[in-house]
Amino acid sequence: MSDDYGPRVSTGVQGLDEMLKGGLIRGRPYVVSGTTGSGKTTLAIQYLHNGVKGGERSLLVAIDEPPVEIRENMRALGWDIGKIRILDAHPAAKAYTKRVSMVEVAAQRSVAPLREAGPSEKTEQLKKAAPEISIQSLQLMLRQELQETRYARLVIDSLTSLKKLSEMMEDYNSSIMSLLRFLSEANVTTLILTDLPDPTILEPEIFLCRGEIRLHKRMVGNRLDRWVTVEKFRGSAHDIMPRTMTITEKGITVDHKRKIPKASLKVLQAFTQFSR
Amino acid sequence: MIKEKVKTGVPGLDQMLDGGLLQGRTYIVSGTSGSGKTTLAMQFLLEGAKNGERVLYMAIDEPPNEVKSNLKSFGWDVSRIQVFDATPDVMSYDKTPVRDVSTERKVVYFQSVGENIRKTSERSPVDMTVNTIQEILKQEMKVSRYTRIVVDSLTSMRYFYIKTSEENAILMSFLRLLSDIGVTCIVTVQLPEISKPDVEAHVARGEIRLHKWFDGRGLMRGVTIEKYRGSAHDYELRQLRIGPQGITVKIPSRQTGGEEQSAVAGSALQAQAPQDETPPPPDDLPPATDSAAKNPSDSGSQTPSTPEPPPPTDGGQGI
Repeated sequence: MSDDYGPRVSTGVQGLDEMLKGGLIRGRPYVVSGTTGSGKTTLAIQYLHNGVKGGERSLLVAIDEPPVEIRENMRALGWDIGKIRILDAHPAAKAYTKRVSMVEVAAQRSVAPLREAGPSEKTEQLKKAAPEISIQSLQLMLRQELQETRYARLVIDSLTSLKKLSEMMEDYNSSIMSLLRFLSEANVTTLILTDLPDPTILEPEIFLCRGEIRLHKRMVGNRLDRWVTVEKFRGSAHDIMPRTMTITEKGITVDHKRKIPKASLKVLQAFTQFSR
Repeated sequence: MIKEKVKTGVPGLDQMLDGGLLQGRTYIVSGTSGSGKTTLAMQFLLEGAKNGERVLYMAIDEPPNEVKSNLKSFGWDVSRIQVFDATPDVMSYDKTPVRDVSTERKVVYFQSVGENIRKTSERSPVDMTVNTIQEILKQEMKVSRYTRIVVDSLTSMRYFYIKTSEENAILMSFLRLLSDIGVTCIVTVQLPEISKPDVEAHVARGEIRLHKWFDGRGLMRGVTIEKYRGSAHDYELRQLRIGPQGITVKIPSRQTGGEEQSAVAGSALQAQAPQDETPPPPDDLPPATDSAAKNPSDSGSQTPSTPEPPPPTDGGQGI
């Protein structure tokens, strides 16, 4: 599908593309939010997998989980994800010895294809210089990486962890702004994974991103229900209804034609506030 | 009417405002993301441009190229709106000397805004503060007699351009500058899903609040006038629609402007939401509701399962 924005970028989930009237708009940053276990990483890998299938360079920034675990988890889905490139930004175990001068992670870590992801680097080797991860250092790393390789798709898994690791909390809003701006200027379509935002706080990434896909997971009666909503999608029409989502051995599917069950809708409504 | 009113350009909203906004004052348009703030603000500027006025859009949230392409679907001629790109640069984190932005950027017509985002200069990223924005506004006012200015958004200014603990004082001084220059201004404010009133709301001469909520059948939109100094105004929550021609506000044909029995928008919502006609108001997204309505297996859930509207939450006591 194509419109004023040129061809849309598929999320790799057909039903979700339908909800987005074709897919994401190229070159813009998007947020995927949801509680743990709601399927954010699976969606993200599916998105990257869809990219490499179409010959697009795709990069995963792994902060939550070490790459080897992601690879093992995704192997269960039977996808050939070997071509997805990965930037291991998983923090090393802290040395807790005499505080040696910190080394920029940019000088220490590099991008590798996911198929080469071995066991986590032993912190042992890094003891002399355990690198610190922050929003700032991630931007610097990505700048290096994007100068060498033109990526079309990128995933940051997750911003929530990155925030918690980031030491420069005082300038945190500006750092997020800068990172998102940097990604827009680099014209890479990005999914930023976050926990569900606190509804009483306006997080900068939520209002700066050009769209938010929210994954919901809740026990309804004795059944686990999953559904997906498009909370925001700048510059495009989109589906405003919540739609049923399932995670199977083939990955995520979204049934964009089926409304979510009444009982789930009630649960959802209780959480959707009149904006006053 | 004490002073001449300035039309907002939004059908129905001017009726709610008893003719429009008071000339030379600053107003807030607030709402959650996607509630229509930027669209409303652009309609306000277009209304001026249509009458040959000079109008200025200060982009702080969204890069002007994206604002322009996002508005394309409305088919508006935005070329005569002047725009200042006040979006922040990528931070370089190394020790390059920062230059003052006022020497680097200037106001242009939307016409000449390109397809792509402005790239941060490798060598000289610029630093922007509320102060520089104030200076630019003052300079601009000397050169061009603007009659309408939009600042989109004050929230970004608060988040990215104020680094001190004096943010309230700085924001107040900024709003003060806007009133001093005597231009009718709209300043947008981004609200979280559950919000508390902020300092801006106290200082501005009026606040138009856009609402968006989910009622089981679909997305509902509404507008309230929270505050309007020096003018009569509508106290009710009115239904708002973003259609192919932009925002329109639906005012029932019987005159209800002076009605005061439900000054609280929450109760207005209670009175209104359940009796809204089916099918749900066609929004900017008709295909979604279409496919939902056509699906016979779900016919039961077309009428709202709960007759009560979502609970009104005043002052942020939520969930």
